[in-house]
Amino acid sequence: MRGSALRTLAGLALAMWLILPLLPLAIWSVAHGWRFPAIWPAEWSLKAWAFALSPASGVLQSLGTTTLVAAATTVLAALVGVPAGRALGLYRFRGKGLVLLLLVAPAILPGIAVALGLHGIFLRLGLTGTIPGVVLAHLIPVLPYMTLVMAAVFAGFDTDAEDQARSLGARPMQVFAHVTLPAILPGLLTGALFAFLVSWSQYLLTLSIGGGKVQTLPLVLFSFATSGRNDVTGAVAMIYILPGLVALALTARHLTGRNLALGAGVPG
Amino acid sequence: MLRTLAALLLMSTSALADTADGEALKAMTWDQVVQEARGGTVNWFMWGGADTINRYVSDHLGAILKRDYDITLNRVGVADAVEVVNIVLTEKEAGIVDTGAVDLIWINGENFRSMKQGELAFCGYTDLLPNNALVNWDNPAIANDFGVPVDGCEVPWNTVQFAFAHDSAVVADPPRDMAALLEWIKANPGRFTYPAPPDFTGSVFVRHVFYHAAGGADALLGPFDQAKFDEAATKTWAILNEIEPFLWREGQTYPNTIAQLNELFANGEVDFTFNYDPSQFGLAVQAGTYPASTRSYGLTDGTIGNTNYTLIPFNSPNKAAAMVVQNLLLSGEEQLEKAKPEVWGASPAIDITRSPAEVQAGFAAIKGHPSVVSADELAKAALPELQADWLTAIEAGWQAQIGN
Amino acid sequence: MTGRAHPLWLLAPALLLLGGLFLAALGLTLIRSFRYMPVLGLTDPDLAAYASVLTSPGFLSSLCLSLWIALASTVISAALALGTAMLLRQTFPGRRLIGFLVQMNLTVPHVVGAVGMLYLVSQSGFFARLAYTAGLIDAPGQFPALTHDPFAIGVILLYVWKEVPFITLILLANLQSIGADHEATARSLGASRWQAFRHVCLPMLRPGLLASSALVFAFAFGAYEIPLLMGASSPRALPVLAWQSYTNVDLATRPEAAAMAVIIAIIGLALLLVYARLTRPLANRGRDAG
Repeated sequence: MRGSALRTLAGLALAMWLILPLLPLAIWSVAHGWRFPAIWPAEWSLKAWAFALSPASGVLQSLGTTTLVAAATTVLAALVGVPAGRALGLYRFRGKGLVLLLLVAPAILPGIAVALGLHGIFLRLGLTGTIPGVVLAHLIPVLPYMTLVMAAVFAGFDTDAEDQARSLGARPMQVFAHVTLPAILPGLLTGALFAFLVSWSQYLLTLSIGGGKVQTLPLVLFSFATSGRNDVTGAVAMIYILPGLVALALTARHLTGRNLALGAGVPG
Repeated sequence: MLRTLAALLLMSTSALADTADGEALKAMTWDQVVQEARGGTVNWFMWGGADTINRYVSDHLGAILKRDYDITLNRVGVADAVEVVNIVLTEKEAGIVDTGAVDLIWINGENFRSMKQGELAFCGYTDLLPNNALVNWDNPAIANDFGVPVDGCEVPWNTVQFAFAHDSAVVADPPRDMAALLEWIKANPGRFTYPAPPDFTGSVFVRHVFYHAAGGADALLGPFDQAKFDEAATKTWAILNEIEPFLWREGQTYPNTIAQLNELFANGEVDFTFNYDPSQFGLAVQAGTYPASTRSYGLTDGTIGNTNYTLIPFNSPNKAAAMVVQNLLLSGEEQLEKAKPEVWGASPAIDITRSPAEVQAGFAAIKGHPSVVSADELAKAALPELQADWLTAIEAGWQAQIGN
Repeated sequence: MTGRAHPLWLLAPALLLLGGLFLAALGLTLIRSFRYMPVLGLTDPDLAAYASVLTSPGFLSSLCLSLWIALASTVISAALALGTAMLLRQTFPGRRLIGFLVQMNLTVPHVVGAVGMLYLVSQSGFFARLAYTAGLIDAPGQFPALTHDPFAIGVILLYVWKEVPFITLILLANLQSIGADHEATARSLGASRWQAFRHVCLPMLRPGLLASSALVFAFAFGAYEIPLLMGASSPRALPVLAWQSYTNVDLATRPEAAAMAVIIAIIGLALLLVYARLTRPLANRGRDAG
């Protein structure tokens, strides 16, 4: 009995802790004047939302930019990461450890190590300040997540079904579309979710490669947060977390414990 | 017939082409420049920390430029102009000479000097702008940007003068000169701080202390003098180190930016903030960030004022369009528009007496915001800026002696 | 993409991309760090930048601060995540809601959490206002300094807030595949709950826990925007110091910025090797290629 009450209490504390930092943001977004020591805002107002949603603030435009960049990065990561994951999950070959190391490195090495050099390279290639440039830059931290998830998926994949389909005369594209893809889809969606989220929250790479011209939401949020407009910051923050929630809701069905074992070598 | 058609075709396509060739533009008439500018885009990199200014630029100016000149204005907000200098510098280093990302910069001071010395600015074209006639270039405060001659490399936009702000409900009688302020800080521990240089506003606060330590600005005018610097600097660091334990957080950390100081002031963690642009105080009160009892003032021994400008980088691909934007910024109508407190409240950089009668009447009719000290009031005790070498030495000295 | 393809073809796009971008970027940083900058006339590589960086007190205190932040965040997150995972294994009212909240936390970007955390724990933040209302303090200055403070407490709090759900989900996944059988066996042999946890469960969770901790450490060490937003002006976290050096208009500081970035990369590399060690099983899986 006591154990159960304790558990519920712990659960309640955990739930509150998880939501807590988001509450002041939500309240600020509808506040007009909320100075110490007031618990509640002096006045309530929708001006911050009106401003954030108007073209003058650039927020909606940057929402579009961020979504475009994240979607493009995810698609490219899938195109590159699915075959790479297949190779890592199904095959053993010489140098596999080294390849794994190379593929995982961008997720572990801090972005700053890459940002300096990448900026110099992209400047000469004319990619700075462009959306394709930012997408390419985002691929660097995103690819490891997609590849590792797909590697884990393919590690548990039985190729017999593919062999059977081929022996029955199906062409490679058909085999992929009707046999492989449905089987790997849950894992692919998990990988896509992670890819999307990593690109969605990138700051330094976008700042350095985007050169001020590619304004994604994290940059916009940061600049409002550091310019003292807390009410607008709150509204932008709410707008910023929404698509991630939507993406989660869309893929929630496919998120199983197995797929969330991101550390690919982890048993399971 | 064919040749005329070909010529027409060439002219129309060249009108849409990049206008990166500055020398060619300098040889044209103004009308030709405006024609070249049609259809162009201007990427204007400027400090983005005030959304009233952002609105004025993006909405108001953007609409006029589109409607009257078919120019697309793309405002790019940055936290500090040094970032933009860095962009142009890196581009020059990478050999990018006519496809730069930046067409126009809101700039002054050390950043201007970096650009002029690094030959990063487009110069020698300002006489072409019709509204340039409204600028009084005989005024040394305008002809020199922090002691560096402008030499046709930039176009003035606003004049500013440093002022303090306080909540009159909390501090009814604030200290009115630097000596009194230093005493007040010691008597009220934890209630004052300033942003760490090289933040622009923190830096100018330190310079006020520097002038005070040197016994006045007149001794410091002119090129950098190591001996004079060392003498004043020693006293300045002594003063700042002496008050450090009485600052917010006992001086163990300083706000990184003026925005952080504003936040502390807004929440009552400190009792003072300050700014080069006092109109910001009024805007903050309107936004509900500062209390309505906020009042601002200058020091009796004077506060520092300067002019800020817009500049076209050497490698801008849209120089004609950028020149049209600069001409618009200098016009009497726009200088009046941004002077209105509900728009921005920025002081003009042109000589108002040279502008049309309606504009002059408009200026006379402006009523200031109660929280904003008037520019005329501040101008009664104005201090000049020092040359940029002094600034870099002061900033480096602060970081070494105090910022540890 | 059917089974007969040699793995090299499957890997080629990924390798090209990462080789071309990632390795090239690291390489360029490395070259710059050796003070090879033709535009400044420096054509003789040397270690002057490293010497200057490694002997500067600013760098050393930044390095210590970043290591402290990473260590504290990782240890606290791992411990709390263990507890959370064990809690969420059991059923109690609201368990599904909490499971959803944990997943939702993953989707909230770090910057959003950081700004929210600032509004919560700063000296004029929500908790401080509650304290004032309760009569515990009279002025913001009396509330403990948790933001812009020398121990980066606010930064650590934010990392813990974001990484506990991350590690928890990984642990839960592992627990799911391990199953409850081993524990049940131990309990039936007389082991207490704590003993079953410590001697049966924990060792099996260790690889996953350590691997995810390595990821968390790397992130907490190398993140830029969170210490910029929430940290003190000195010492600054190492990535902030490095990036501010890089964007200094004085071109001579670029090699030093690059040297700092290389040092950060080396520490990251060490963590990578640790991570690789812990996840070796994957390297041994799969069929032999051609």
